[in-house]
Amino acid sequence: MKLSPKKALTRPVTRYGLLALLVIVWELSGRFNLVDQSFLPSFSETIATTVVMFQKSFLFTHTMVSLTRVMIGLCLAVVSGTILSYLLGRVLPSVGWTLEPLFRVFGLINPYCLFPLLVVFFGLGEAPKILILAWVALWPVFFSSLAGLKDIDPALLQLARSMGASKIQIFYKVIIPATAPSIFNGARIGVEMAFFILIAAEMTGATAGLGWIVHNAGALYQVSRIYASGLIIVLLGFTINRFLIFVRDGLFFWGRASLSGRDSLLPQNRTRISPLTLKAVTLTVAVVIGLGIYQIIMAEAKLNDPTVIPEYRVWTE
Amino acid sequence: MIRYLCFPAFLLIWEFLSRFKLINPIFFPPFTTIVTTVVDMISSGELWLHLKISLARALSGLFIASLAGVPLGILLGGYAKKLELLLELPLEVLSQLNPFLLFHIIILFMGIGEPPKVTIVAWTCLWPITFSTMTGVSQVNPSLIKSGRAFGLRGLSLITKIVLPASAAQIFAGLRLGLGYSMFMLIAAEMMGASSGLGWLVLNSQENFQLNNMYAGVLVIALAGLVLDGLVWLPLKLWPQLAPREAVNTAGD
Repeated sequence: MKLSPKKALTRPVTRYGLLALLVIVWELSGRFNLVDQSFLPSFSETIATTVVMFQKSFLFTHTMVSLTRVMIGLCLAVVSGTILSYLLGRVLPSVGWTLEPLFRVFGLINPYCLFPLLVVFFGLGEAPKILILAWVALWPVFFSSLAGLKDIDPALLQLARSMGASKIQIFYKVIIPATAPSIFNGARIGVEMAFFILIAAEMTGATAGLGWIVHNAGALYQVSRIYASGLIIVLLGFTINRFLIFVRDGLFFWGRASLSGRDSLLPQNRTRISPLTLKAVTLTVAVVIGLGIYQIIMAEAKLNDPTVIPEYRVWTE
Repeated sequence: MIRYLCFPAFLLIWEFLSRFKLINPIFFPPFTTIVTTVVDMISSGELWLHLKISLARALSGLFIASLAGVPLGILLGGYAKKLELLLELPLEVLSQLNPFLLFHIIILFMGIGEPPKVTIVAWTCLWPITFSTMTGVSQVNPSLIKSGRAFGLRGLSLITKIVLPASAAQIFAGLRLGLGYSMFMLIAAEMMGASSGLGWLVLNSQENFQLNNMYAGVLVIALAGLVLDGLVWLPLKLWPQLAPREAVNTAGD
């Protein structure tokens, strides 16, 4: 689509205008002391704090720790949710039908209530945090996949059967492609909720991660650190959201449009991504997970390092 | 109806496993013990106190959110096409603002009383309500609006006579989502910084290793959530046009 010169100029202005205005108002209110500086440091100060935190207090480690927890939790949820839904929706439909109300109630259980319980069982390490994320993301994936299974066009199954496809072939050629978009939609809802809960879980019981920084900064009244880590949290959430939309439009382009209302504002652009891009994306994700696991392992030692400025060390109650 | 037998079956298995010490009864007390604890807490008045506080917080947050969210959604939905480009990015960024993060900032401004908790609930509920209303309003059949205009409806009367009834189902779905979110967030907020409410009850019992009380709290929270969600059936029975036209297959609703 070729834009006229005038539109080419006004489009970016309208697109980024309101956000830029918000940032400018934020900056000016700090500069001219319209709001108490100790409650709302200016935008530039927040950026400066972020840079300092990256240099001195392992903000990168915390970010990677949070990101990796979400990714591992999501992977667990997708794998177990998909297997469970295939088992209950396809292999043993009568059992699935009987147990569905029970699973609905499980899905409604407040994950926050579960967290103390998981801590009782799994201690204070990584396990309860990742499991709580997996639990939160599991139910959207499970129900979405179950609904996808129910929605499979019976004509497709009949067609495959009449052409002599074996059960395994039907599974690979029909069922998996037909349910993949719904599983992905479920995973998208799941990852959003998981990210939500992650920050909370890190606030109540963790010694690393973005939620921990916010909590720690709040307790120590380091207001600019709250805003700096908040900036990173918003950026990370935004990136994850955009990445998932990119994957959905590129990989699951045959599926139905998204379920969540807020996407109605986003441009719909569904074209298959090239194999090369796919490889690059897969590689990036693998590298990020690898790096994250390394950071989780290193986090404890790094954050407890006595040579680090005390202010940035692990804060204990 | 038969399939609702899975609940008693589940509870029976739990009771059995715990009574015969197949699972550790300290970590998983038998279901009847939990029920007894709930009854004890009701008779001592403790539970009622926390439940009342939690419900008041959740519902007032939801109320504020719907007061703000529905008009905002109508506004955005009505002009969605024109404002699309302008609002796309800011709304996406704002909805990424994690409520837990916001909680710490709101505390800076509002102190640690009731207002931050209600605000945080209101903020969380605001988004599903706004987005749902927006979707509903932007999907109203344009010929309905045209014929309304042709009959001389303008401004507010157009909204109350045409737009609201036509998008009622979506708005209601948003409110229902908001209701779920409100309980969910409230428990979290109470666990993080409160000295009353069901969330505090659960966390406090866990910290004192009173697992019976903890399970009792969890049970009451789950029941309260179910009852609140069940209350939704009442308006659905009274006004069938509120029912969703298309089944939404997410677990979050």
